[in-house]
Amino acid sequence: MRKLLILLMIVTMGCLPAEKTSLPEAEMKLATEWLYAFSLEEFKLNDIVIERPPGISQLLFKMKIPMENGLSLKTHCVYYQVGYKKIPGKLSVEELKNDSACPETETGDSWLTLDHINKLKVTLASSHLHFDFENKGKKISWSFLLANLEGNLIHEKYEPQKEKKWKSGLTFLRTDADTFLNQNNKFLGKLSDRMSRGTAIRCQQVDKNCNDIGENRCDDCRYGWYSIVDYNCPQGGSKFCGQNHCGEKGEPACPRGIKVVDETEAGICQSDLTPVMNADHILICQ
Amino acid sequence: MREFKRRPLIILSLSICAVLIVALWFFYQNSPKNNSKAEQFVQEKAALERLIQNSSEIHRLWTEGEDSREWNSWKNECLKSKKIDTAFDESLLRCNPMLIECLAAFNKKADYQFVKQNGDKLYRYVTKSNISHTHLSGTGYLFTIEDNQSKKRLNLLLADNCQEVFLQNRAYAYGEEVQGKDVEDYRFDNFNQNVYIDRHLVTNAEVNDWIEFGNDDFTKGLQKKSGDDLFLPATDLKEEQMMNYCSFRGKQLLLAHYFDAATFLPMDLNEVLPVKNSRSPYYWTKKKSDFKPDCDLIYAQECPAKKPFRLNATSPTWAGLTDAMGGVMEVFRNPIDPESNLKASSFYFNFKSQWHRLGFRAGWDGDGFELRHFDFKGFNPEITIDKFQVGFRCMRESK
Repeated sequence: MRKLLILLMIVTMGCLPAEKTSLPEAEMKLATEWLYAFSLEEFKLNDIVIERPPGISQLLFKMKIPMENGLSLKTHCVYYQVGYKKIPGKLSVEELKNDSACPETETGDSWLTLDHINKLKVTLASSHLHFDFENKGKKISWSFLLANLEGNLIHEKYEPQKEKKWKSGLTFLRTDADTFLNQNNKFLGKLSDRMSRGTAIRCQQVDKNCNDIGENRCDDCRYGWYSIVDYNCPQGGSKFCGQNHCGEKGEPACPRGIKVVDETEAGICQSDLTPVMNADHILICQ
Repeated sequence: MREFKRRPLIILSLSICAVLIVALWFFYQNSPKNNSKAEQFVQEKAALERLIQNSSEIHRLWTEGEDSREWNSWKNECLKSKKIDTAFDESLLRCNPMLIECLAAFNKKADYQFVKQNGDKLYRYVTKSNISHTHLSGTGYLFTIEDNQSKKRLNLLLADNCQEVFLQNRAYAYGEEVQGKDVEDYRFDNFNQNVYIDRHLVTNAEVNDWIEFGNDDFTKGLQKKSGDDLFLPATDLKEEQMMNYCSFRGKQLLLAHYFDAATFLPMDLNEVLPVKNSRSPYYWTKKKSDFKPDCDLIYAQECPAKKPFRLNATSPTWAGLTDAMGGVMEVFRNPIDPESNLKASSFYFNFKSQWHRLGFRAGWDGDGFELRHFDFKGFNPEITIDKFQVGFRCMRESK
């Protein structure tokens, strides 16, 4: 009897449709999260109706979004399965709690799933991500503002710096009390850091072939950054975090450029000091 | 036997229950309550859109500053509330939190309100030294707005870079032009650097933000200013404090040779790599003898009798820097000749003074404001000054 009851319960539960996210709820959830996204990556299928491959889930794009307190990044992996025969068209978003790569196909642990999504077209234009699709025969259009999406910097003479984004100089932040706690501050360097004390942090490095080595971390400097003279590369020299004391004794020479002086004179030091290359090939004032 | 008879009955009852549960579920799915849940999401989306639209308007005001219709509609009330009685250069209102504070106070028609950040302030000045938010591209002012209808909130970070100017990539020269065949000019270029310089000297209002939001260890002894002093240059910081202030903003104290670059008028603006950097000692002219005793070009000792001193008292240089001559003195970090670190051209000297020449610098030890802390190279002021005023500005490199 007990076995029969259990069987019946299973059958009943199986008959019950799983609670699905409604379209308005999904739209709101996505709009609220993506408003803060800093990057959109691996986005290939721009402005085309996605019809291939039928019945198979594919990664549409990934987004890097700050966590609720803004302290770190999480990743949204957005997948679409093109409907085929009995396989429904499906849009799903998986959330990774860190900044990491998205698997090419979904793992099944979705943050949001929408069924009956057909003839999907995703378009990125003017900092907005447009979703056009059909849901149960109804045409739906969504538009998500990606206000924080970082573009290139624009440097123009006589002008302040501009960013290619929705509104240059406007960023939406996610904050709570933790965001302002000093112990959570991971930005690089102290005010007292100096090259002469051996404490200055290098945030960008170029090699003798003028290739950038590693990631440019100068945006993570707590107190700004400055360039030094090393290989006279077109993109400038390596960069260090902190307060600039270039030209002083034991500190790096200030960049002088190489178009009006010889490479041997590419550094500026106080008039009583001489620029000397150190072991790291950095011009130091001695 | 009895058990055998009861079994179909139980199965039937359970089957009815199951059907009822499924029916109830479908009923729930289509119930008005569920519809109202959908409506709730629609309302929330509308609230978010209102907040975004309002952010866009606030950003417009932030960048338009004195040109905005809002400023002109409540300018008088705003100035009164800030106890500002004397005229100032209103272009300083661009990227200025005072404008947003007055928007909050005097724009009553809005469907949102500003939320206090910390204590009584409507904003928080955010730099990488006082916030831990990831992917912060620069410094700025953080405001929070709340939608009146939904109470939903949005945090806006408004960058404070509209008072900076990009220094064109070209060849420049340091110091006064040296005459003579065998003497070589000290030339340099910035073709592989993106340099931004503050258009104006750092103001007392900006130092107030450092005192309020910076590390107390570095601002000890500094007093906040108010009223008419807000838009005047900050002149009571010692040199180390000036450097620390610039660091707080992710910048550096302006280097002397970049000041020269932004002030000496290039002979040909289209020729970025001239063979020689000929230069006039006056930022408004290419002619070396074209000196003009004009308070709009040099705010000299004679000028206070004609018009009160204010920040941005003189015309901008070719690159956009104001107060390049006259006004208060200005200190730089000079990596070539550290003892020539002071623009002495100021209202302490009359129009006839030697000091009113670009590239000609006095010295300041950075540690005090009495005469003994200065080296005027024999050209001392003819009047007695108890406390000299020394201003400063910052610069930074960008990627």
